[in-house]
Amino acid sequence: MLVKVRSVANVGLVALPVTVEVDVAEQGFPGFTIVGLAGKAVEEARERVKTAINNSGMDFPPKKITVNLAPADLPKDGGAYDLPMAVGILAASGQIQDSRFMIHDSIYYGELSLDGDLRATKGVLLVGLFARSISPSNPPLTAETRAEGEKVRGGNLKGVLPEIFVPIESANEAAVVEGISVFPVRNLKELVDHLNEVSVIKSLGYLVIEDLVEDERVEYDLAEVAGQEQAKRALTIAAAGGHNLVMWGPPGTGKTMLARAMPGILPPLLPAEALEVTRVYSVAGLLQPGESLVRRRPFRSPHHGVSAAGMIGGGSNPLPGEVSLAHLGVLFLDEMAEFPRSVLEGLRQPMEDGQVQIVRAAAHVSYPASFTLVAAVNPCPCGFLGHPRRECRCSELAIRKYRGRMSGPILDRIDLHVQVPAVEVEKLSNAPSGPPVTAKTRAGGEKVRGGRGSYDGSGDVRKKVIAARKIQEGRFKSDGIFINSQMKNRQVRKYCPLNGETERILRLAVEKWDLSARAYFKLIKVARTIADLGGEKDILPVHMAEALQYRQMG
Amino acid sequence: MEIKRIEGRKVAGLAALLQPVDELWYSGEWDEGIFTHTAAVVGSRRMTQYGQRVVEKLVPQLVSGGVTVISGMMYGVDQAAHRACMECGGRTVAVLGFGLKWPGISTNDLRFMDEIVKKGGLVVSEWENQPGTLWTFPMRDRIMAALAQEIYVVEAAAKSGSLITAEWGVKLGRKVWAVPGPVTSKVSEGTNRLIADGKAQMWLPQQQISLSLKDRDTNNAEIYAMLQNETLGIDDLARKLKRPVEELGAKLSLLVLSGEIIEKEGKYFLGSGNWVKR
Repeated sequence: MLVKVRSVANVGLVALPVTVEVDVAEQGFPGFTIVGLAGKAVEEARERVKTAINNSGMDFPPKKITVNLAPADLPKDGGAYDLPMAVGILAASGQIQDSRFMIHDSIYYGELSLDGDLRATKGVLLVGLFARSISPSNPPLTAETRAEGEKVRGGNLKGVLPEIFVPIESANEAAVVEGISVFPVRNLKELVDHLNEVSVIKSLGYLVIEDLVEDERVEYDLAEVAGQEQAKRALTIAAAGGHNLVMWGPPGTGKTMLARAMPGILPPLLPAEALEVTRVYSVAGLLQPGESLVRRRPFRSPHHGVSAAGMIGGGSNPLPGEVSLAHLGVLFLDEMAEFPRSVLEGLRQPMEDGQVQIVRAAAHVSYPASFTLVAAVNPCPCGFLGHPRRECRCSELAIRKYRGRMSGPILDRIDLHVQVPAVEVEKLSNAPSGPPVTAKTRAGGEKVRGGRGSYDGSGDVRKKVIAARKIQEGRFKSDGIFINSQMKNRQVRKYCPLNGETERILRLAVEKWDLSARAYFKLIKVARTIADLGGEKDILPVHMAEALQYRQMG
Repeated sequence: MEIKRIEGRKVAGLAALLQPVDELWYSGEWDEGIFTHTAAVVGSRRMTQYGQRVVEKLVPQLVSGGVTVISGMMYGVDQAAHRACMECGGRTVAVLGFGLKWPGISTNDLRFMDEIVKKGGLVVSEWENQPGTLWTFPMRDRIMAALAQEIYVVEAAAKSGSLITAEWGVKLGRKVWAVPGPVTSKVSEGTNRLIADGKAQMWLPQQQISLSLKDRDTNNAEIYAMLQNETLGIDDLARKLKRPVEELGAKLSLLVLSGEIIEKEGKYFLGSGNWVKR
């Protein structure tokens, strides 16, 4: 007997329909064959499916079983086809009553464990979105349809909404998709009972995204970093205008902590943005079991040993790389000069286009990669060049080589450069409110703890950033961009007219420091963001003068 | 770059050497006048911020007194001295530790040599094709010491080549100055030692007269006052003046643009226009 079960293959961020055809033949030598460009993990599904069925108290038919994964030319990998195969085999051998269309219309997706339990499987959110997109009428969910669904079958909306059966641990991912029924399946036995109407699996209620996206407590507060007011200001500008930022400074001055504070001053994720980020994380399998939605802006900090494929994404069935995992968040490159040149060069396309195209023999996929780059660089290989007390032991040649590693294309795309000098702790007369208590700060006692930081904490900074972003949104309504850093030169001319004095300052600077045309436009963009932070309509001389503080050094 | 030759005995100062210099190769316009008042400014290749500041204080003083600055064109203090000299309009002489036509000269150095010549200075060497090697640099030091009437050592470690120049200077009876440095700094060990042993006199900057602030923006007066005695980063300034960094940043940018103050690696100090000339 032949049974067809629907499932889904994830190629990049796109889910494609896959039909799992299962034939259990009465005649022929007993065996189990899988065809349809099945990868290693799918081949091995044979043993998992067989054992899981047997261990669930059902019979694995001792007959000739053929499974075809259609379409035949689409490569398939991973354990997600275990569940549709098992359902197909049980239906084809009469252990599930095939009296209902449900088997043919529902989507099954999930990896089996040998004892018949379902394991967390990656990509479930995409399955949900796919189900939503193929729903015949794609019905907008109204009170009536919902009520109608409830009538047909206690709360399960059968027949009205597309149904998906997915592992219980991953089911929350799909629950944020409106207009589908998500059935969290614990194990094979439970599913079979549900399909045979012996017992009922309750579908998950729709999780309203807006309720999930809440302001989570910031992990790192700007106020925790001692001193470094200018670096904090630069972070604020970077967050407000989406500018990329590089911090130059010796080790131990707070560069990493500052970068980690960045997500906390960016505006919270919008519901649509949260969904976009979650898609990437779902495909990468990085969501925690039971997690439904990524609520925080991502912060990715790959080590400098990362390969080009790890950074950009790759694999024969390409998975998202660090640039995509940092989508709509922050990509932090600590010790940027230590990254292999090929990896840094690979960042150019995503920084330009906001997405990456990955081409492999098996697939051609595109992942979103619109991130803010925050980089930290030591001033020289040993890190102590210009340090007030430590000595630099590097030769001039070594320093030149070191800086040359990231010259050109990448630095060109970074708008803000800021020095993060070594802080002499005893100089911080008004240290921030919550410094780590060391012997030194304890000696300073009350004075240190009583003093307020001279720069705002993350909460206040974020308010300013949100206000500045609102101004930008209003300005670019008709341009298809959102933030100042995305302006092309044409838009810079349109939205950033400079008055006489401002222009004069910029010209002086260009002359004095031999600035390139690109640097010229970068300065205007940064000045525009500074003006937006100040709530000014025009770019005033002070804004341009401040922007000059963040020009590229040397 | 055109390279010419002059006999060693025709050059003032070189006659004093026991190991005579037979010939001197040079590039640039030879002018006896360049050697009328001379001072060698030498020091460590690993110059610190402190060394940089000293050079920027010392060299303008020398130049405004009509002195030609002689140095060895190594990176660090030497190049800083040449550069500072050219920046305030002085002529400078670079004495190389290798032949002028040695193919091993780096492109950066060649560019630097060009610049010196273009600004009216000289690049000289005892050799035409001699590669730079261990013994050539100390040999060069004796020429520097002979050409200079005064020798200033800015930052030198305990075993620095600059100390060789100083030794030659002592032997030749030149006036040797050493700039005192922090006793904790390795690159000031040599200079401090010179002073302690009495081989060199301690160099101290001329007393500066307090700035007349009348014609300046009074708002900036406090910035000048802060920078009078030390170099500060913007964060330090903001903290001391109790001003937000954004406001201060804008101000500092304008002051740097107008040349009132100078910024190096994130630290600010008063520009040479604010030093009183002698």
